[in-house]
Amino acid sequence: MIAVEGLTKVYGSRTALDHVSFEVPKGEIFGFVGPNGAGKTTTLRILSALLEPTSGRALVDGADVTEHPDLVHERLGYMPDFFGVYDQLTAGEYLDFYASCYRQPKARRKKIADDLLELVGLTDRRDQAVDTLSRGLKQRLCLARALVHDPAVLLLDEPASGLDPRARVEMREILKELQTMGKTIVISSHILPELTELCTMIGIIDQGRMRATGPVHEVIRQLTAGRRLRITVLGRKEEAAAVLKPLSAIHEVVMVNGSIEARYDGDDAAAAGILQSLVAAGIKVFSFSQLEGGLEDAFMKATSEDI
Amino acid sequence: MSRIAIALWNPIVSKEYRSRMRTWRSPLAMTVYILLLGGVGWAIFASTAATARNSFNGSQAANYGQVLFLWLILFQMVLLAFITPALTAGAVSSERERQTIDLLFVTRLPAFSILWGKLLASMSFVILLLLLSVPIFSLVFLFGGIELDQVLIAFLVTAVAALTLGIIGLACSTAFKRTLPATVAAYGAAFILLAGSLLFGLLFPTDINPNATKAPAPPAVTYLSPVLPLVVIGTNGPVNGYGVRYGNFGMSQGGGMACSAGPNGNQSCYMTTVPIGKGAFMNPPQPSGTTIPSGLFSGWQYWQATITMQLIISLAALILSALLLPPIRHLPWRRRAGVPG
Repeated sequence: MIAVEGLTKVYGSRTALDHVSFEVPKGEIFGFVGPNGAGKTTTLRILSALLEPTSGRALVDGADVTEHPDLVHERLGYMPDFFGVYDQLTAGEYLDFYASCYRQPKARRKKIADDLLELVGLTDRRDQAVDTLSRGLKQRLCLARALVHDPAVLLLDEPASGLDPRARVEMREILKELQTMGKTIVISSHILPELTELCTMIGIIDQGRMRATGPVHEVIRQLTAGRRLRITVLGRKEEAAAVLKPLSAIHEVVMVNGSIEARYDGDDAAAAGILQSLVAAGIKVFSFSQLEGGLEDAFMKATSEDI
Repeated sequence: MSRIAIALWNPIVSKEYRSRMRTWRSPLAMTVYILLLGGVGWAIFASTAATARNSFNGSQAANYGQVLFLWLILFQMVLLAFITPALTAGAVSSERERQTIDLLFVTRLPAFSILWGKLLASMSFVILLLLLSVPIFSLVFLFGGIELDQVLIAFLVTAVAALTLGIIGLACSTAFKRTLPATVAAYGAAFILLAGSLLFGLLFPTDINPNATKAPAPPAVTYLSPVLPLVVIGTNGPVNGYGVRYGNFGMSQGGGMACSAGPNGNQSCYMTTVPIGKGAFMNPPQPSGTTIPSGLFSGWQYWQATITMQLIISLAALILSALLLPPIRHLPWRRRAGVPG
C-alpha cells in the first residue's frame, strides 16, 4: 500500500533523509519511531505530497507522490503534528467544509459528518465552535477530518502528543477501530509502549536513516541482544545464582526485586536446560519465565549506535 | 454542477462568507465605510448649498452635481485602496500562520481553486461595499450634470481597480510567508498603482512632438491609475495640462509658462502673456473630448486604457500566485508519468 524507495531529502547542507526505504502492506499499522529531528515528519510530508524529495520514490496505493499528488490526496488522509482550526465554524461545519473540499456530494456530506463525529465521539459537540474545543477534542476532530473522503491510507503525525492519558486511550481505541475497517495507518509517535500494543509493523529512524523496519516483534528480537529469564526460587537465591553463573549459555546474572534475572544465548531448549540444571541442584523453582525485550530497548539500541 | 459553477462557487467561498460575516468586524467595516462616504458627501453638499444660498441659478446645479460626484467617486476609490489590500494580503499567509494551509493542500482542491475562492470571497465584500454606496451616489442625480452611464463606468473603473489591488494583495500573500510583510507590500503596490503612476506623469511628462498633428497625451504609465479616468468621467472633459511638457515651445494663444535651458544646463521658467517660440508650435493641438488624443492608446477612452492595463496586471499577478502557491511547484508543461490505476 505504501512503498518508499531510497527517499532522500536535502536542505542546503543538511541531509534530513538519507536513502530511507520501507514498505507498509495493506491493513497494517506502521509505527514510525525516532528522536526529534530524525526525519519522521519530513517522510510523512513527502508521503502526503506536501514536500518534494531530493531523490528516491514514494508510492501511496500505487500513485507516485511527485508525479500524481492529486491521486495521492484522493487516497490518503493526513493529520499533521501541528494544525490549526478555523474560528467561527462549528465542528459539523468544519467537517462539511473539508468534505466539500474532497468533492463529496452535498447530499452525502451531512451523513459523513454525523458518522465521523460518532466515530470519534464528538456527536454532542456538533454545534460547538471548533476553536473552543480542548486539544484532545481538536485532535479527534482533525482525525475525523482526515477521514471525510474515506481514504485507504492514514498518515498520522504524533496523533497522541499533548493528550492526557484518557484521551490517549480513546485515540488508541479509535485507531484500532479504523484498523478493523481495513485502513492502512502510519503513525509517528514518541509514546513507545502504546505503539507496541497498537502497531503491527515498525520503523525506527534516526538522523535521517532507517535503522530497522519490519514486524514489531521481529524488530525487537533483532535489536535486543540475548534473551532474558526471570527466575523466582524459594529461599537459597545465592545458591541458585551460583548454579547459574558457571553455565555456558548464561552471560549475566543479577538480582532484581527478590528475583533472579539471567541473560542467556540460545533457543527455548537452552532455557529448558537452564531450568533442568536448577532443579537438579535441588533449587525449589517457584516461577521461571522468559522476558522479551521491549520496544524501548530496541529503540535505544537502534538509535545509540551506527548499525 | 457545471465546471464554471464549481469554479465560481468553491467551498472556500462559502467558508469565507461564514467566517467573515459571523464576526463584528464586517458590519463595523460596512458602517464606517458608509459613514465616511456619507460624511464626505454631506460636507460637499453642505458647502455647495452654502455657496448656492448667496448666488444660485439653475445652470450651476449641474456643476454642483459634477463636483459632488467627482469627490465621492475619488474618495470611494481611496477608501477601497485602503480596504482591499487588507482583505486579501492575509488570505494565504494567515492560513500559513494558522497552520491550516497544509490541510487545504492535501484535499482535492487545486491550488488555483484556493486562490480563486479567496479572491472571490474578498471581492464579494468589495462589491457589497460598492452596492452600499449606491444610495449615496443617487443624491448626485438631485443636482443633475451626471448621466447614468458616467456613474456605471465610474463604478466599473473602481471595481476593476479594487480587483487589481485585491489580486496584487493575494500575490503578496502568496509570496510572503507572514501577513505583516505581505500587507506592507500590498499597500506599497496600491500606492504605486494609484499615486505612483500619477507622479510618473508629473516627473516624466510627454514632450510635445514638433511635428505632432494630434494633441499630446500623458505617458501611458499614468493610465494605470484609476484616478485619471475617474477625473475624466467626473468632469466629462479632456485632461488639460497634466503629464505634458511644453519645453522650449510656447503654449497657446493666451501664453503661459515658457521654459528655456540655461548655459549650465539648468532650466529656467517664466510666465508670458504673448505667444512665444517657433511659429509652428505657438498653437499646439489641444485635447478635446474624453478620449486619449495620441500615443499608444490613441482614440481609446481613458477608462478603457486603465481597465485594460489593470486587467493585464491582474492576470499576471494571478498566474504568478498560482505558480507560487502549491507546496510542490511544477511547471504546467512538465511531462508526467502515466496515471496509475
